[in-house]
Amino acid sequence: METLFIPQPDTIPAHWGWFQFLLLLTFPLHLLAMNAMIGGLVIAIAQHLGGGPVRRQLAHRIALALPLVIAFVVNFGVAPLLFVQVLYGQFVYTSSILMGSYWILVIPILILAYYGAYLYDFKFKALGAFGPWIALVVLVLMLAIGFFFSNNMLLMALPERFADYFAAQNGTILSFRHQEFWPRFLHMMFGALAMGGLFVVLLGKIKGYENKDLRIHSEKVGLLVFNLFTLINIGIGFWYLLSLPGPQRQLFLGANTMATLLFILAMLLVCVVIYFGVTRRFWATLATAVLLVVVMTFMRAWLRSSYLQDHFTLDQLQLVPQYSPLVFFLVTLVLGLACIAWMIRQTMLAMD
Amino acid sequence: MNYPVWYLPETGGGILIALIAIFHVFVSHFAVGGGLYLIYSEKKALREKSEAIMDFTKKHARFFILLTMVFGSITGVGIWFIIALVNPAATSYLIHSFVFGWAAEWVFFVVEIVAAFVYFYMFGKMDSSTHLLVGWIYFIAAWMSLFLINGIIGAMLTPGIWAENMDFWAGFFNPSFFPSLVFRTFIAIMIAACYGYFSAAFSSDEDIREEMTSFSAKWALAGLLLAIPAGYWYLTALPEPALALVMGKSPTISSMIPYGLVGALLLMLVMLVTAVFRLQKNLRVAAVICLCCAFLVIGSFEWVREAARRPYVINEVMYSNSIKKNEVAAINEAGYLQSALWIENRELTSENLLLAGEELFIQQCYACHTLRNGANDIASLTSNMSHRALVKYIEKIHQIRYFMPPFVGTSEEASALAAFLVGELHGKPYGKEPQQQAAAMGALLFEDHCSSCHAADELVDASHGLEKQEIDTMLLTLDEISDEMEPFAGTDEERGELTSYLHRLGNPEAEAAALPPDGALLFEDNCSACHGPEDLAEAAEGLEMAELVAMLRSLDEISDEMEPFAGSDEEAEALAQFMSKPMAKEK
Repeated sequence: METLFIPQPDTIPAHWGWFQFLLLLTFPLHLLAMNAMIGGLVIAIAQHLGGGPVRRQLAHRIALALPLVIAFVVNFGVAPLLFVQVLYGQFVYTSSILMGSYWILVIPILILAYYGAYLYDFKFKALGAFGPWIALVVLVLMLAIGFFFSNNMLLMALPERFADYFAAQNGTILSFRHQEFWPRFLHMMFGALAMGGLFVVLLGKIKGYENKDLRIHSEKVGLLVFNLFTLINIGIGFWYLLSLPGPQRQLFLGANTMATLLFILAMLLVCVVIYFGVTRRFWATLATAVLLVVVMTFMRAWLRSSYLQDHFTLDQLQLVPQYSPLVFFLVTLVLGLACIAWMIRQTMLAMD
Repeated sequence: MNYPVWYLPETGGGILIALIAIFHVFVSHFAVGGGLYLIYSEKKALREKSEAIMDFTKKHARFFILLTMVFGSITGVGIWFIIALVNPAATSYLIHSFVFGWAAEWVFFVVEIVAAFVYFYMFGKMDSSTHLLVGWIYFIAAWMSLFLINGIIGAMLTPGIWAENMDFWAGFFNPSFFPSLVFRTFIAIMIAACYGYFSAAFSSDEDIREEMTSFSAKWALAGLLLAIPAGYWYLTALPEPALALVMGKSPTISSMIPYGLVGALLLMLVMLVTAVFRLQKNLRVAAVICLCCAFLVIGSFEWVREAARRPYVINEVMYSNSIKKNEVAAINEAGYLQSALWIENRELTSENLLLAGEELFIQQCYACHTLRNGANDIASLTSNMSHRALVKYIEKIHQIRYFMPPFVGTSEEASALAAFLVGELHGKPYGKEPQQQAAAMGALLFEDHCSSCHAADELVDASHGLEKQEIDTMLLTLDEISDEMEPFAGTDEERGELTSYLHRLGNPEAEAAALPPDGALLFEDNCSACHGPEDLAEAAEGLEMAELVAMLRSLDEISDEMEPFAGSDEEAEALAQFMSKPMAKEK
């Protein structure tokens, strides 16, 4: 049997369930913001290139929102990355090092893309026809970051590949040749496109009473994008399921009751969301779609633990309990949320 | 040892951390102090009912957001990425120990983002008291981020009792927590004022240029002057070894401190001349100089703080090369190649000696040293040394140079590492020295011919006090001692080796005394890590022997990095003699 190279994990200060809860609470937020960013960018480019005053207005509105959205993609990405390092540090630090030379590129690429988004926003009018091309560069850079993240998150679940390190110590190992990679990455990106459609509808609704044309147009475009790419993503989703190694696929097809029920629930939600989308009931579509994203992140977590279960389960983490810092964090969170709520309320009052 | 090493031999991970971190702190301290600056700039505009100052404040807020929200926040994530790649064990340790501190910092990061955007986009659209309140929320959230990160990185330098009990609060409120917090707060104000000065100097409105550069300069000078006593307070909180490094024992720190001091003095001078006394109005050049000076101040401070932790990455807990202090004894016993996870050559053989040595280099030295290039290239640092000298140096490296971690592993592993460094890098011989070879041969002969009945210890008394000739004769007449033994039947040469081995067993002092101290070897062992013989020939020129010996005994007076020569008087004389004519000796 080949030697497995899996580092010893560090101890945790609270029961692992807390970290799993916080991971599953914050990761969907990151996904939703990422979806708004990727989907929003694609729609902005298409609308901008399509021409015409309403399309241009919609592109501008997306451009205005983009820097704020990117700020939240990053911020909402920080929390789950923290919690995944607490729960699966021995895997994710290792996979990051194995692809280190690419992984660190995420930072300069993100800085470049972020400044590109500000350029597209602040200089929207001055850039003229050049604008959509800037947005396209931002999109490609963001997709590259997504590609590296998908590589890392898959590689961390494949510890049997860790020994490849000895053949490439300079951090150039990627996992995109794994059978699961492309359907996984595309499922995530097409999902982002679909959800981006709903984000665009939301943007049209801001001060919608002042610009009715824009509101109607954004709803039309947004729901069309959502319905179309959700349908396509059903196909990619099944490809993804079939690409999984046997035991992982079976997990959702009867081998594990809870995982199978979760999968059935997700399929039901897909049917419901398409029904709402096609019948143009926006708020119901949005609520169901958000729920679907949450359910999908649960399935993703299940898949990861299934990949790793022969080597590690979360209950193996050694607990050295100290709960007062957790209380401090929860109090901070409540105060922070109250502060944010107050600021949003003041902003809305000022805008009205 | 628990994690793989991301190995870029000619670049090194340290430089990547430094590159990201120094630029990050320059912007992140702006993100903290800038909040306060914007509030007081806006208040000034309101108090003086100045549209122009309000307009300046808004433009500066836009510059502030573009720099802190993009470059500042992403390089902050970048530090996390790069430290996890370069030192995953320490990162994991800090993440797991302080996870809820980091999580709380994340909450303040969210509040900062919302507050910064609301503050900027609601300029002129919100009533001014609410707008200022949002500014205060931003500043408090940003300062709380500093508060939290300061606690965690402070524990890395001054862990106090946390190193033993792992209590979150003991680590967080560590001995340097408050001095560091106060110092950083003032530095943040100083840096933010330099950015404010920069914005004002580039304003197209002449009144704003004059008014706001002066306003900024007063803030900058106040921050800088208050940072001085805070910095002194910080120094007094450092543990003795770290303080010694800062005060001159570390060449890395010594080379960096002058930059910070020059930066601070020049900053003070430029601010006084251009903004307080207004003797010179070429403000744009002054603004750029001030920003560069502020960069030097914060850059050298962070550099010194990082270097003062050495030889640890987390003081008293984990060495720079990720080996935990409390695991050293066990690893020395079992061997590093057997203990570490990411190793290919677990058993040392003559075939894999260099490969295993390279693995030891990657795992134990590469954390600070590059190979064949870069700032701390091990190839140039070891170019004067022989295998023998390097082995000795490696084995006591932490005693000679406190800021380097001890070599962890067996003496055979130290020898393999030295073999890689002198053999692979410099093409020098790395086999055993003739004396060591002879000793090994003697031990081997003992193993083959005697060990079935005798342990080496048992023969210590038997050979004690005997001359070599007597032992030699005894080996030829073993049958006379006991019927169970045959006379030694090996060659004359083998008998000679076995005789020497047995003589050394019983008479170690006589063996040592028989060899006069060799100046060249003493030079190799004690000096060659830093000096070539020809360098010292110059230093020794014209000095009498007695003066040279006296100099060797007081090397610490020449440089903080040296210790006085600690050998015997005979050895000091031999070394002095070698130094006075090394080239002749070599010939």
